[in-house]
Amino acid sequence: MKLNYSLVTRRTFINTLFGGWLAAFAAGSLYALFKFAFPTLGKEPDFVVLKKADFLDIPVNSVKPFAWGGKLGLFFKKENGTTQALKGVCTHMECNITYRPDVKRFYCACHKGWFDESGKNIEGPPPKPLEFFDVTIEGDRLIVAKKGVKVELPKA
Amino acid sequence: MSCRRLKDWFDERYDLEGLAGIARGKHVPSHRHDIWYFAGGLTLFLFCIQFITGMALAFYYVPHPEHAHKSIIEIVTKLNMGWLFRSIHHWGAQLAIVVLFIHLFSTLLLKAYRKPRELLWVTGFVMLAVSIFFGLSGYFLLWDERAFAAVRVATGGAGNLPVVGGLIKGFLRGGIDVTGETLTRFYAFHVAVLPIVTLALAGAHVVLVQVHGMSVPLSQQHRQGRPEPFFPDMLCKDMIIWLIFLGIVVTLAVLLPPEIGKKADPLAPAPENIKPEWYFLFLFETLKLFPGEILGLNGETIAILVISAAILFFFLIPFVDRRSAAQQKSPVFTWIGILYVVYFAVMTFIGFVS
Repeated sequence: MKLNYSLVTRRTFINTLFGGWLAAFAAGSLYALFKFAFPTLGKEPDFVVLKKADFLDIPVNSVKPFAWGGKLGLFFKKENGTTQALKGVCTHMECNITYRPDVKRFYCACHKGWFDESGKNIEGPPPKPLEFFDVTIEGDRLIVAKKGVKVELPKA
Repeated sequence: MSCRRLKDWFDERYDLEGLAGIARGKHVPSHRHDIWYFAGGLTLFLFCIQFITGMALAFYYVPHPEHAHKSIIEIVTKLNMGWLFRSIHHWGAQLAIVVLFIHLFSTLLLKAYRKPRELLWVTGFVMLAVSIFFGLSGYFLLWDERAFAAVRVATGGAGNLPVVGGLIKGFLRGGIDVTGETLTRFYAFHVAVLPIVTLALAGAHVVLVQVHGMSVPLSQQHRQGRPEPFFPDMLCKDMIIWLIFLGIVVTLAVLLPPEIGKKADPLAPAPENIKPEWYFLFLFETLKLFPGEILGLNGETIAILVISAAILFFFLIPFVDRRSAAQQKSPVFTWIGILYVVYFAVMTFIGFVS
């Protein structure tokens, strides 16, 4: 069947074809570029395994740092001898906190945030309490895990 | 080849006489507030210092978490004149940001942004944002404790933006945490991405100034003196100011070399009494005003939203200020401008003393 009139002129057809090609090319290139420039984020660990001997013997009312992935973890021994582990990162702006044994509080120097012994945000800008971990001991290993995560260690 | 012949060689190929004519025709208005015109040229000059010293420093700096801190210490202790270039680069950056803010606020208060110069405002504003990112990224390259905490806070703050926050944070950090990945990224921004963006924007800004000519404040339009020729009168005056500022930069660089803190340690607590660079102090103090929680919402997110809205409004002033665009007096925007300037000054001051 031959049409007497075309809905598009040749000019429109060529422009659309060329413009569409250009748009597709640009979109593809930009997609590839962004895909490359955006990193694969990775995630925080579910648990870390530490040496028991390095941590259990720290003095009371003090902390010892450990690496929680790329972040700071703190192993904490209270005045009464009970031990806990927590993420040593302020819930406000992610600065590393420090333990102040004189007042028995955690302190963030960046914006002057304070947390009490149980990690509750009590003063300054922090919006949430600190994150505590589960601590279990297996042989000579100390396993620090996110709350509620089941730890499955590979059989040695 | 003699000078004469060299000139003829160019003359035969290019219309030098025409160019000279354009140069002779360029005049700058003169009136009571014309002193503020110098801030723009001065910024350009300070940026030139930054480009030259920065290229020199890039010969020796190593953007790797193991070596970055040490390489800067080597630049200032072992290399010939290394201390001078690093110090000039630091103080040149500080003064460039001071002058940029002066340029911005004088443009704001004299309403030089009004029609038809909106795009000058836009390019200038983006350049200020780029410069601040220049400052943050450059200062992170030190890889010391203070820089590490500052970049954590700055990128974490961006992460508080709703919807796009996480994406921006991941893009800037190169991962979920501030690590060596962040260092290479910031290095790329500092020495490749931002310089090219700055060159393009500065080029557009200068071309636009030539297209529009200098803005004359409404109040001065009927009280102008005789316009001054740019060549050589204004250029000479510009250069006098540049020389004075070169003197200031070098004096500061020699007498007050910037400190280098302890090497960054991702597991060390944030250093005591940590403060951001002075041009972040007004943001830092504003963040402190917001409580952790407002009506059950995260106070941080609200703070970042309020600040973003205030900055966005500032950016859009040329398009909102209809009276100025119609060449009428616009006292409301004068007061808004004063409000911004006073807020910035007061919060920066509080940040300094607190």
